[in-house]
Amino acid sequence: MLKLIGAILVLVSGTLFGFYQAAQFANRPKQIRQFILAMQRLETEILYGFTPLADALLKIGQQLSDPLRTIFNEAAHRLTDRTNVTAQESWQQSVEEHWKHTAMKQNEKQIIHQFGFTLGTSDRNDQIKHIRLAVNQLQHEEAAARDDQSRYEKMCKSLGLLAGALIVILIY
Amino acid sequence: MKTTTWLSIFPSTIQELLGKLHPTVLARIEEIRVRQERPLEVNYQGQFHYVNYRGELTDMPGEGYLPTREDGNRLLDFITNHSLYTMEEELRKGYITIHGGHRIGLTGRAVLTKGHVDHIRDITSFNIRIARELKGVGEPILPQLLDFRQHSVQHTLILSPPQHGKTTLIRDLARLISGGQWMHAEAKWKGLKVGIVDERSEIAGCLKGVPSFDVGPRTDVLDGCPKAEGMMMMIRSMSPDVMLVDEIGRPEDADAIREALHAGIRVIATAHGSELEDVLRRPVLNKLISDELFQTYVVLHRSSKGTVNRLYDAKRRLLHPLAAGVKGGSYHA
Repeated sequence: MLKLIGAILVLVSGTLFGFYQAAQFANRPKQIRQFILAMQRLETEILYGFTPLADALLKIGQQLSDPLRTIFNEAAHRLTDRTNVTAQESWQQSVEEHWKHTAMKQNEKQIIHQFGFTLGTSDRNDQIKHIRLAVNQLQHEEAAARDDQSRYEKMCKSLGLLAGALIVILIY
Repeated sequence: MKTTTWLSIFPSTIQELLGKLHPTVLARIEEIRVRQERPLEVNYQGQFHYVNYRGELTDMPGEGYLPTREDGNRLLDFITNHSLYTMEEELRKGYITIHGGHRIGLTGRAVLTKGHVDHIRDITSFNIRIARELKGVGEPILPQLLDFRQHSVQHTLILSPPQHGKTTLIRDLARLISGGQWMHAEAKWKGLKVGIVDERSEIAGCLKGVPSFDVGPRTDVLDGCPKAEGMMMMIRSMSPDVMLVDEIGRPEDADAIREALHAGIRVIATAHGSELEDVLRRPVLNKLISDELFQTYVVLHRSSKGTVNRLYDAKRRLLHPLAAGVKGGSYHA
């Protein structure tokens, strides 16, 4: 009896793990898409709104859902609450801290980290150029992520179940 | 602590050095000059000193702390509120006003568009001018500017070289006039509506439209607006009794002042110049003065002994500094 319960547990956790992996593959392009939209909103705030960076980040954060919301909110709060912190630092630290809660990978992180170096430190035209560059790069990553999704999402789901089954067979 | 508010705009390296300066020095600093790779300089009471690596004053340039590129970038990030792109107009003019009314002049490499300065990039020199609110500097002067017949103040032009307290004076005058503190026993009328056209955000030190300094209860401030246009807007929209403007000198300023005078508005203006004769050489002001549009001239002169003010009437005759005020008895509160 105990053996059976153990076997079911292994099977279930294998399946769940598979589903979790699949969800990561499905979420990655979604979150990149969201990030691209957020960047485009930032572009509007800078180009037409002349909104100070902290306000712009907060505004954009409010329109997003987690985990991206936290990245933007945190960056904004670091700017307003602390003294002696530059825009670059608060952005990069916020990204560093909350990245693990996203489904995005190292490539996207690199782009977003890189973007932090110029954040807020130049005139509007220059800011827009850097935003567009980041958006462009993110779009590439998004396409790659979609590729991965279509390739691996289903596979992950069945692989989880099968791996669970394999372990059960081996130790039963 | 008032001093700490402006200290916080500096990157921690410079903040630490300045924080080590003697409190009396810190309280008197008028300008702090940060130049990349050149010694950090502070100016106060007409003197200048460098600040060395231990946070002490020195006169040897070789010993001074050399602000790094990183220091400059951080300072720029802080003074622009992390958003340089919102400051394009300020960069065109070459200075930024920050919280507390402190003005920061910038130089770097000018970027031109069609032959005009579009903005400045590679900013490497900063001149931080500390604004101080000196309540009371207008008190000895205001009684001599009163117009008893109209229950108002006279048209006044205040002259002084830079750094001698013009802006501080008209800020205090705004506070007194709009609060009805005439500093004169016989002046019993209430406060007047005051309009300030504050092109450089120095008089009221507005941040998001709200004055940082006490400019009085009945004072409206048009912040960051070109003077001539701002004066016309004030006349049309806010019906001030008294209008204050800083640093007039362009032909359109003179037109706007005439317009205000004819609309029955009292004008108190300031201009650069150490003597009335200096100002007469400037065509725009010469015209205003020779037309006797101003009823009183105040010339500020600051020496090591303190500020000495001289007053002239419309015909540029020297008035005894105390003559007008003594008439009604004690004028000093």
